Amino acid sequence: MRLPAFLRKLSWLFQRRDREAGLDEELRFHLDEEAEERGRDAARRELGNVGLIKEDTRAQWGWTWLDQLAQDLRYAVRTMPRNPAFTLLAALSLALGIGANTAIYSFMDALLVRRLPVADPASLVALNWHVSGNKRLRNSVVHNESGFVHRDPRLGLVTGIFPYPAFELLRKSVEGFSVLFAYHPAEKTTILIQRQAEVANGEFVSGDFFPGLEVAPAAGRLIFADDDRPGAPGVVVLSYGFARKRFGDAALAPGEPVSINNVPFTVIGVTPPEFFGVDPGKEPAFYLPMHADLLLGGDGGSGEYLDDHYYWIEMMARLRPGVTLAQAQAAAGSIFERWVAATASTAEERANLPEFVLKQGAAGLDNLRREYSRPLYVLLGMVGLILAIACANIANLLLARGAARRREIAVRLSMGAGRWRVVRQLLTESLLLATLGGVAGIFLAIWGVQMLTALLATGSDFVFRAGLNWHVLAAAIALTMLTGLLFGLAPALRVTRVDCMPALKESRTGERPVRARLLFSLSQALVVSQIALSLLLLVGAGLFVRTVMNLESIELGFQPEDVLSFRLNARQAGHTDPEIISFYRDLQQKFAAIPGVIAASSANAGLIGDEAWGWAIVPAGTPPPADAPTGHGDFSNTATHVLATGPGFFSTLRIPILAGRDFDDRDRAGSAPVAIVNEEWVKANLANRPSLGAHIVSLWPGKMLMEHGKPQEMEIVGVAKNARYDDLTDVFPPIVYLPYQQNTGVPAAEMNFFLRTSGNRGAVAGAVREIVRQADLRIPVTNLATLHSNIQREIGDQILFARLCTAFAILALAIACVGLYGTMSYIVARRTGEIGIRMALGAPRPRVMWMVMAQVMALAIAGLAIGIPVAYASSRLVESLLYGVKTNDAMSLAIAVATLACAALAAGFAPARRASRIDPVVALRHE
Amino acid sequence: MNEKLELLQGTLDLLILRTLLAGPAHGHAIAGHIQRTSEELLQVETGSLYPALHRLEAKGWIDASWELSDKGKRARFYRLTRAGRKQLASERSKWDAFARAMGMVLSHE
Repeated sequence: MRLPAFLRKLSWLFQRRDREAGLDEELRFHLDEEAEERGRDAARRELGNVGLIKEDTRAQWGWTWLDQLAQDLRYAVRTMPRNPAFTLLAALSLALGIGANTAIYSFMDALLVRRLPVADPASLVALNWHVSGNKRLRNSVVHNESGFVHRDPRLGLVTGIFPYPAFELLRKSVEGFSVLFAYHPAEKTTILIQRQAEVANGEFVSGDFFPGLEVAPAAGRLIFADDDRPGAPGVVVLSYGFARKRFGDAALAPGEPVSINNVPFTVIGVTPPEFFGVDPGKEPAFYLPMHADLLLGGDGGSGEYLDDHYYWIEMMARLRPGVTLAQAQAAAGSIFERWVAATASTAEERANLPEFVLKQGAAGLDNLRREYSRPLYVLLGMVGLILAIACANIANLLLARGAARRREIAVRLSMGAGRWRVVRQLLTESLLLATLGGVAGIFLAIWGVQMLTALLATGSDFVFRAGLNWHVLAAAIALTMLTGLLFGLAPALRVTRVDCMPALKESRTGERPVRARLLFSLSQALVVSQIALSLLLLVGAGLFVRTVMNLESIELGFQPEDVLSFRLNARQAGHTDPEIISFYRDLQQKFAAIPGVIAASSANAGLIGDEAWGWAIVPAGTPPPADAPTGHGDFSNTATHVLATGPGFFSTLRIPILAGRDFDDRDRAGSAPVAIVNEEWVKANLANRPSLGAHIVSLWPGKMLMEHGKPQEMEIVGVAKNARYDDLTDVFPPIVYLPYQQNTGVPAAEMNFFLRTSGNRGAVAGAVREIVRQADLRIPVTNLATLHSNIQREIGDQILFARLCTAFAILALAIACVGLYGTMSYIVARRTGEIGIRMALGAPRPRVMWMVMAQVMALAIAGLAIGIPVAYASSRLVESLLYGVKTNDAMSLAIAVATLACAALAAGFAPARRASRIDPVVALRHE
Repeated sequence: MNEKLELLQGTLDLLILRTLLAGPAHGHAIAGHIQRTSEELLQVETGSLYPALHRLEAKGWIDASWELSDKGKRARFYRLTRAGRKQLASERSKWDAFARAMGMVLSHE
C-alpha cells in the first residue's frame, strides 16, 4: 500500500486505539527480548522512561497538535460554564458585532464584488461617454435623450446612452469586440396574461444580447438576431420568476399568448432563474426584441433608429481574448468620436463633443453601486467600530479574568508548561468564544439581511440581491477568527508574563498583583478607546437623525395626509385620443362619488418620487431661451416643470390659489386654452407684470404640442402657491399646470388619481378597484398608497439609514457601558481592602463614592477628548449623505457628548455605590 | 573498545534503512544488528529507535506488519519499501561523499 504521507497519517488517526495498543506491545516485546539477553533489571534500566519513549514515538504520527487542541478545547468547554455571565455577555456582544458586519458585508458583496451570473463575466465591458467639467447636455449633439445621466466628480456628466446609428457603426467596425449588444428599458408596461393585467418593467434587447451574454434558456428559446428586425412577429422572453408567477411553471410559458400594452405577443422562452439582465439593481420581468418597440409605438417611431441626435440605447460588449480594456477603449473611442464629430452642426455642438469611456462590465452596470456604495461604506465603518468596541470589551473582561487566573497559570508554568503552550491554551479559549459568537452572528446576519432587504424593497426602486454565499461566509469565518485573536492575544500575552513565585504565594482570592498598574492601564486604555469609538457612532447617528428630521419637515405646499393615490394607464390598454380623455374624466367623476371620498382629482405624474415632465414655457412675445429644447429627464436651467391635471386639482390637494381660479369642467377640448402657474414661475418670467390674463407659449417641439406647426398658446387663469413636484429637497421649481382635458401638454397616457378621503381608506381602495375593473378589465390599478407614504418612500432610504445608524450607536453605547461597568467593578473589587482601610480610618461614604466616580469621569473625559476631534474630522466623510445639517453640527455633537457622559456615569454608579457600602470590618478581614 | 560513540544527527535513519536492506526485522533485531556490525561501537538508544522507526514509516520509506519472531512471539517487523530503497541510495551516496570530504580535510598534510 503506497499512500501519500498525509493520507497515511490520516488513516492512523482513525486507528489510534489499535496503534496505541500496538506500540505497547512493540515495546513490551523489546523489553522481553532484552531481558532474555541480560536480565530484566538491566533491560528496564536500558529502556529508561517508557512513557517518554511512547510520547516521542506518538509525536511521529503527526497528531500531537490535534491532541493538544482537543485537550485545550475540552478544558475551554469545561471552564466556560463556570463563568456564565462572562461567556454569555462576550458571546452576545460578539454575535451582534459579527452579525452586523456579516449582514452589511453581504450587501457590499452583492453590490461591489459579485459578478454577473453569465459565462466569462470578466470579458464584458460597458460603453459610456462623458462631457467633462460643468457642461450640460444642452447645446450638444444630444438633441433628445431617454435614459440615465449622472454627474461624476472626475468625469463630469456620464451616461451610457447612445444613438442607434452609433451602435450599428461600432458593431461593424470595432475589431476588439467579439460581440456588441444593446438594450433599452421597457418601463411600466401593462402586460395582460389570461385576462389578468399588471404593470411590469422589462427590457428591449438587441438580437445579440442573449447569444452575447451566453445565456441558456430555462424553457423554450431566447431572442435571436432574426427576431430583432422591423416587421418580425411579436415575441417575448419571460424572466424565470415572472413565468413562475404567471404560469405556475416556467415550462408552461413558451407558446402562450400575452398582450403587452394591448399588442399581442407570443412567449418563446424563459431565462434561467439566476439571470437578471445586466443591471444588478433591476429585475426585468420580460425581454422584448429591440425593434418590438415599433409594434408598441415607441418614443419616436422608426425615426429613432435613424436619428443621430436621439440618445437612448445602452450597450455592452465582450472583449476578444487578449484585447485589453485600454486597447478596446482606444479603438472604439476613436471610431465613435470621429462619428460623433461628424454629427455636430454648430460651433457650440463641436465644443461640447462626448468623449468615449469604456468601463468594466463584469459586475454589470454600476447604477446601484453608485447610489448605495457610499452609505454602505459608512455602515460598514460603523459596524466595524462596533466590533472593535466589542473586542475591546472582551479583551478587557479577559484581562480581569486572566488576573484572577494568575495562580492557575503560575502553576502551569512552574510545572514546566512552555509560555507559548499556555498562550495557545488561552487563545483556544478565546477562539472558542469567538466561534460561539460567530455562529450566532451568522444566524443573526441571515435574519438581518432578510429584514434589511425587505425594508429596502419598500423604500427603493432598486432590487437587492444580498444573501449569504460562500464568500460572505468565508469573510464571516475569517472575521470570527480575527476577532478571537484580536481580543485574546494581548490578554494572553499579558497574563502569561507572570513571575511564578509571588503569584504562587498569593492567597486563593488573590491579592493586588505586582504588575497591577500595568494591567489596569491596559484595561483603562481599552475603556477609553471604547468611549471614543462610541462617541463617533453617536455623533454619526445624531447627524443622520437630524437629516431625517429635516427631510420630514420639508414644506410640501400641499397636504398629503388622507390622500389616497394610484395610477392607471389606459393608453397601454388600447385607449386612444380623444376617447382616453373622456374615459379618465368619467373615472374621476365615479371616484369622486365613492362614499368617504371628499374630493378627487388627477395629474399625469405622481408629484413626488415619480418622473416629471418639463420644457420651456414663456410669456407670449418673449424670445425662446437658448437652451429651449427638452423633454423628459435632465431639465435645463430655464425649463419649466409641466403638470397636466384634472378638474379640482388644487382644491383636492389643498394647494392655495393665490389669484384667479382652480381648473374645472369648463376647461375641456374646444374651450380657450388655459394654464395655472406657480409663484416661482411668475417670479422667473413675469417680474412685476400682472399674471392673470397673460398669454404664455409652450416651446416643446413635440408634434402633439404644436398647433398646426406653431407653438401652443394659453391664458393664465390662476396663480398657485409653490408646491412640490418631482423633487423633495431642492428649491421649488417654476411650474405650469395645464388641464389635461384640453390636451395642451404631452398626450394623455398614464394618469395618477388623488382622492381625499375621510374614514375607511380600505373600503375606498376596494371601490376604486371595482370601478376600474368595470370600466376596463385590461387596466391594472398600480401604486395604490397614501400620498403621505409615497413621500415617506422617497426618503425611505434616509430614514432606514438613520434608524440603522441610531441602532448601531445605541448598541455601541451599550457595549461600551458594559465594558466600563465591568472594569470599574473589577477595580472596586480589587481595591476592597484599600477602601476598607480608608473607611476604617474615617473616610465618609460619599467621599469613597466620589473617589470611584472621579475615576469613571476621568476615563469618560479621556475618551471624549480623543473622540471629539476624531468625530469632528470624520464627519466630513458623510457630508454627501446629510440634508440641512452641517458636518460640524454643534447640536449633534453636544447631544452625543451628553448621552455618553450620562451613560458613563450610570455605568459607573453601581460599582461606586458598591464601594461606598463596603463594610470596613468585612473588608479588612477579607485580606 | 568500551568507548561508545554518539550517533550523529540524522544517521540513525540511514543505519535503519541499511539494516533493513538485508530483509525484514523487528526493532530489537535492528538495534542488535547495528550494534554487532559496528563492533559494539554504535549503541542505539531505544528512546530514539522507536520514534525513528515510526517516523520512517510515516514517510513511507518502511512498512510494518505483525509477524512471528524466530522464537514464535508476535513482533512488529519492518521492511523497506521501494521509496525506502531510493532514499537509502541517495542518503548513502550523500554520506559517502561527506565521509570522503571529511577524510580529505582531516588527513590533509
